[in-house]
Amino acid sequence: MSVANIDNNMVISLRNVAFHFWLKKSLFRKERFAALKDISFDLFHGESLGIIGRNGAGKTTLLRLLGGIIRPDKGTLINNGVKTSLLSLQVGFDPQLSGLYNAILSGMLLGFTKKEIEDKLYDIVKFAELEEFIDQPVRTYSSGMRARLGFSIAFHLDPDVLLIDEVLAVGDADFKKKSLAVMKEKIQSNKTIVLVSHSSGTIRQLCNRAVWIEEGITRAEGDTEDVLHVYEEFLRTFKHY
Amino acid sequence: MLASPNDTICLNNLNQLSILFRKMPITQRHIELIFFKAYANLRSEAARTYLSFMWWIIDPILSMAVYYVVFALLFQRGTQDYVPFLLIGLITWQWFTNTINHGMTTIQGNTKLMNQVHLPKVVFPSIVIVMDTFKFSIVFLLVLLFLWVYGFDVGVAYLALPLILGVQFLLTTALTYLLAAIIPFLPDFQFLVKTTLRLIFFLTGIFFEGSKIPPKYQSYFYANPMATLIEDYRNVLMHNMWPDWQALGIICLYSAIGLYGAYRLIGRFDYVYPRVIMQ
Repeated sequence: MSVANIDNNMVISLRNVAFHFWLKKSLFRKERFAALKDISFDLFHGESLGIIGRNGAGKTTLLRLLGGIIRPDKGTLINNGVKTSLLSLQVGFDPQLSGLYNAILSGMLLGFTKKEIEDKLYDIVKFAELEEFIDQPVRTYSSGMRARLGFSIAFHLDPDVLLIDEVLAVGDADFKKKSLAVMKEKIQSNKTIVLVSHSSGTIRQLCNRAVWIEEGITRAEGDTEDVLHVYEEFLRTFKHY
Repeated sequence: MLASPNDTICLNNLNQLSILFRKMPITQRHIELIFFKAYANLRSEAARTYLSFMWWIIDPILSMAVYYVVFALLFQRGTQDYVPFLLIGLITWQWFTNTINHGMTTIQGNTKLMNQVHLPKVVFPSIVIVMDTFKFSIVFLLVLLFLWVYGFDVGVAYLALPLILGVQFLLTTALTYLLAAIIPFLPDFQFLVKTTLRLIFFLTGIFFEGSKIPPKYQSYFYANPMATLIEDYRNVLMHNMWPDWQALGIICLYSAIGLYGAYRLIGRFDYVYPRVIMQ
């Protein structure tokens, strides 16, 4: 992998990033677990970058790193001043409060001001199809209604870079179709997106570039087809053992 | 973190980098969040019971009744004006102890949330501090009303009241932040704190006057800042006497230092907490 040149389009850049955490075993014993060992790649403005890897490859940890929740132990992560956010559904929902309160609260936790959320509240409620129920406590909602509200909040409040962990479609069948459609539209638009998945199908369908991660190490970065090709090759040989 | 030569190209971004990934100070947005979340939590709490927010008032009155029965009626320990005496001690103590008990586990308890969004961790205990302080202020106003109805007049010493309240707020916040900072690393500590607080409760002079203690133990008794503060409240509210300025100043100074230290400590571990707690 080549060293990144000065590129105005580069929004986030990772170089030899490593991250570990401790697993508590008992009072005095803890075990070091290296989630990421050597990760390097760049994220450019307007692209949809797919991160592929098997379960336990460190994909979720990597998303947290990109989302500014944790910092690398080693290596560098450079953020060119963009606001990143994990597409987290139903963040901080309180079942006792009304849908309206939860929407505001959830949005504030996602990093927006009360004013910014209130400006979009109408769209959020309308998209979630909850106009009649929005003043009812969320505990009275069905799980489908909750999922709709959660998705609508996360979808309408836009960070500069959206980080998505597998989940694209939520709710009942109809809403699933609707949410998948708008999500695809957003991914294919000029929006910068990082999508994490273990399925090559999803990445192939939605991303223009991909990074393959195996056991916390970047194994390949480049065009989706090229990366998926080596990944699938790896899976095939892996299965033989 | 900034070691490899690749970084030189990004020196102009260092400033942004430090803002985004290093300091993460409390901003206007976070203060707005603290107050709105506290308000939402209070609403949510009220929605859980039939009498809703009436419980914030009923609860201290009930506990006051319990101690009155035990100490004034059964033990015959009641002194003159025992109800106001007990009431002032109890509600101010409850503000102190409730805030610490509720606040100390907030960083530890918000694992899920802090792994979904980045927030300065000091936000979590602050929400609880705002909630408990709000509940206390309602109860405190009611106690003031009660004292006036009971026959105590508003005196000049009332001028010192905001100061005593402020010092107690400082002390409570400092201790809550400090414990909230430590408990994610030592979760077992919270049980020790609860027991210690219960012990201190009996040693704080809520049921008895500090002056009734044998002189040789007095210095130990007043080493407890809450004992001094509660005596100050009573002096102001019941006897129109000024507080012990020197003691108040010392508590204020130590609390301010402790608060600053605890705030820095939480900030220092901002990115360590999500890692320590996730398992």
